[in-house]
Amino acid sequence: MSQIAHRRARLRMNFAPQAAAAAAPRPAALDITEIRHFAVREPVSGTRYSLLKVTTRSGLTGWGECGFDTNADFNALQSEWIGKPANTYATIAPSTPFRAALDIAMLDILGKAANAPVYRVLGGPTRNKVRAWSSPYSQEFPVTVIDVPRPLSRNQGKAYENRILELVNAVPADRDFVLAGSGLLTPGDAASVAFTVEAKHPLWFDEPCSHSNLEALRKISGEVVTPLGFGAGIDDPGVFQGLLREGLIDVVRPDIAIFGITGARRVAALAEPYYVAVAPRHNGGPVATAASIHLAASIPNFFIQHVPIPTSEQDRAMRREIVSPSLEKSSGGFLELTKTPGLGITVNEAALEKYRAS
Amino acid sequence: MRRRNFLALGAASAALAGTKKRPSIEAVDESCGCELQAPGGRGPGRGGPGRGGNGMQAFADLQSGLKVTNMKVFGVSMSPNSDRPYVFVKLETNQGLVGWGEGTLEGKASATMACMNDFRDFVVGADPLQVEHIWQDMYVHSFYRAGPVMGSAISGIDQALWDLRGKFLGMPVYKLLGGPYDPRGVRGYYHVDGATAEQLVEIRQTAKELGVTCVKGGIPGYYEWIERRPKIDQAIKSIQLYRESLGPDIDIAVDFHAKTSPSVASIIVKEVEPLNLLFIEEPCPPENVQAMAKIARRSTTPIATGERLVTSYGTRELIEMGVIDILQTDINHVGGITGLWKVAATADVSGISMAPHSCEGPIGGLAALHVDSAMPNFVVQEICGQIRPNANDKIWEEWFGFPAMRMVDGRFPLSEKPGLGFELSEASLEKFPFGGSRPMARVFSDDGSVVEW
Repeated sequence: MSQIAHRRARLRMNFAPQAAAAAAPRPAALDITEIRHFAVREPVSGTRYSLLKVTTRSGLTGWGECGFDTNADFNALQSEWIGKPANTYATIAPSTPFRAALDIAMLDILGKAANAPVYRVLGGPTRNKVRAWSSPYSQEFPVTVIDVPRPLSRNQGKAYENRILELVNAVPADRDFVLAGSGLLTPGDAASVAFTVEAKHPLWFDEPCSHSNLEALRKISGEVVTPLGFGAGIDDPGVFQGLLREGLIDVVRPDIAIFGITGARRVAALAEPYYVAVAPRHNGGPVATAASIHLAASIPNFFIQHVPIPTSEQDRAMRREIVSPSLEKSSGGFLELTKTPGLGITVNEAALEKYRAS
Repeated sequence: MRRRNFLALGAASAALAGTKKRPSIEAVDESCGCELQAPGGRGPGRGGPGRGGNGMQAFADLQSGLKVTNMKVFGVSMSPNSDRPYVFVKLETNQGLVGWGEGTLEGKASATMACMNDFRDFVVGADPLQVEHIWQDMYVHSFYRAGPVMGSAISGIDQALWDLRGKFLGMPVYKLLGGPYDPRGVRGYYHVDGATAEQLVEIRQTAKELGVTCVKGGIPGYYEWIERRPKIDQAIKSIQLYRESLGPDIDIAVDFHAKTSPSVASIIVKEVEPLNLLFIEEPCPPENVQAMAKIARRSTTPIATGERLVTSYGTRELIEMGVIDILQTDINHVGGITGLWKVAATADVSGISMAPHSCEGPIGGLAALHVDSAMPNFVVQEICGQIRPNANDKIWEEWFGFPAMRMVDGRFPLSEKPGLGFELSEASLEKFPFGGSRPMARVFSDDGSVVEW
């Protein structure tokens, strides 16, 4: 065992971790009495997400959202959290099923208990509006998303670069754009795209290639000034730390559906001393949009929030039906902050049943 | 020749300034060449919406209704010659709520008090609920980034803002932070420096009775860059004495207080490995992370450091290198509750634990408990007190009406009261007027050279 692993093991032997603490000695008003789970599905896009409803002894309810996961053990969540105080959101273990949804729901409750919007509970607002972008439904937001195509064959060289430039040049000069690589390119292709668009000043190149190939990222960021963004599939903040330490990332993108508000705030704190921007990922539903707004308004290094507004009016209607008021509206390219306690939304349970995912 | 002329000219104008009244000048452009603009580029910022005021106009529609109306800074010397007068800050509001914070900086009390007052414009008139915004405003707009004086001033103001936040929202601060992990309280340790073998045996018995599970001692004397055999043997023996006298059941930490160089510390640390210490603290001074790493690489005893580091910018390198095991950031210097929370969150990613430092007044200690109880990576909280209460503890109890920073069953209890959980009257501080700044200990070697202590 390395010295450092040995020391950490010794340290663990010497103290009882806080997580092993006894439950609260007496029932309290904010103790969790019930947790309900709703898996919903957008009728046209088929996008699925999980909503949680958490209720306290005092009758407060909080709503949260995370990614859709049929394997997540809802019974384990219940046995771990029913009877625990709803204010202890910081103590949610990373391994907890539905942890992002639980975190968001507990903060919703805490805000209601404190009679304040979640961002105010968390020390905000740090800004009075939240810059946003949307893909694929992006007309109302001032950012164009370019889905970077893969080269048609190997060694396409100049032809591939021209194809990319054509897409970039189609964006009006006064509009910003993000290149979405979706992690599908090879490091070599990613490097040539980053180089090709360098002088076109994209906001950033999202998921240019897999974040796990550090050697490739060193090469790209060592030669090209196009900002790089990562976050897809990252559920361990240590991955962000590795990228930050080596200066390989310009936009950290913790997924709100994986990290919740608190996990994303911790990632934001990690990025702050590297002067790196936070643009949380969000590909789920309208509860997570509300959570994202509160997150953005409680951290200093926020840059922009993705809002996954569906292209189908039927799907958009569903989002408006399950959550009111709708916060997914552009006000000059920005989302507005809510002023009511908690997340500032009401969830329509009957509508959730209507859209329940099987 | 030209240079001499220039100097002469300077002397002449200096003399002029000394004898004549300063000529009245309409406006002097003191800009640094940076063109300040209002947000959105709506014209020059000088005096415009982008500059001046406290930046709160942008949040006019998002106010909580609470507003800071006054800031008072107190220097509190527990003895006339104290080297660490407590620096307290009290914020008053339009709704009668008050918030208290502490920014005590040993040896630099006056400077910290002055720095707090420099931040008056950032605080008075602000909505105290916006603590993250105010913190950024103070830190970023100071331009020169925080050292210990500014870090301590920000820390005190930040704590007072959190106290107000909790009181306004009707919750103890640890609940706003998502805690507590352990409703029974926060594990802590007392100091046993300088105790003899008999005293240590007595401390062992007392600890058992009181449920105290951890103590910290020091090493004797002062050290040169390279040390002689008898001195090294003496240090090792003194650490062995802790284990022999305190027994196997008490966690023991040993503070090297950065008295040792990495070369000397490494030797001592290697020899005490079999004693299973909880950690050794500051085996070398804090400026050089590589030097700390050199000690850590060669030790199986956990290494703790960090009490002198300011903000998460200051702890970044230690954390990203991941070589140490415990960070001991101090809530009175690191940037208050906001700063300590960020350091803990970032340290956790590297698997580094937290054992926050506290060797100043009671407000910072009480504030630290709130953050401790919401940290996933918390080990133990320091208090510079003895296992038996002393005169200081009595005074703190008089101030707060409860035994502040005294453990029950080995833990500092958490208050259910909103904010930081205490009331404090200005009148109770009047008995301890500010005696001015006093330097911390100045220690010299036999040959007169400066040594660390």
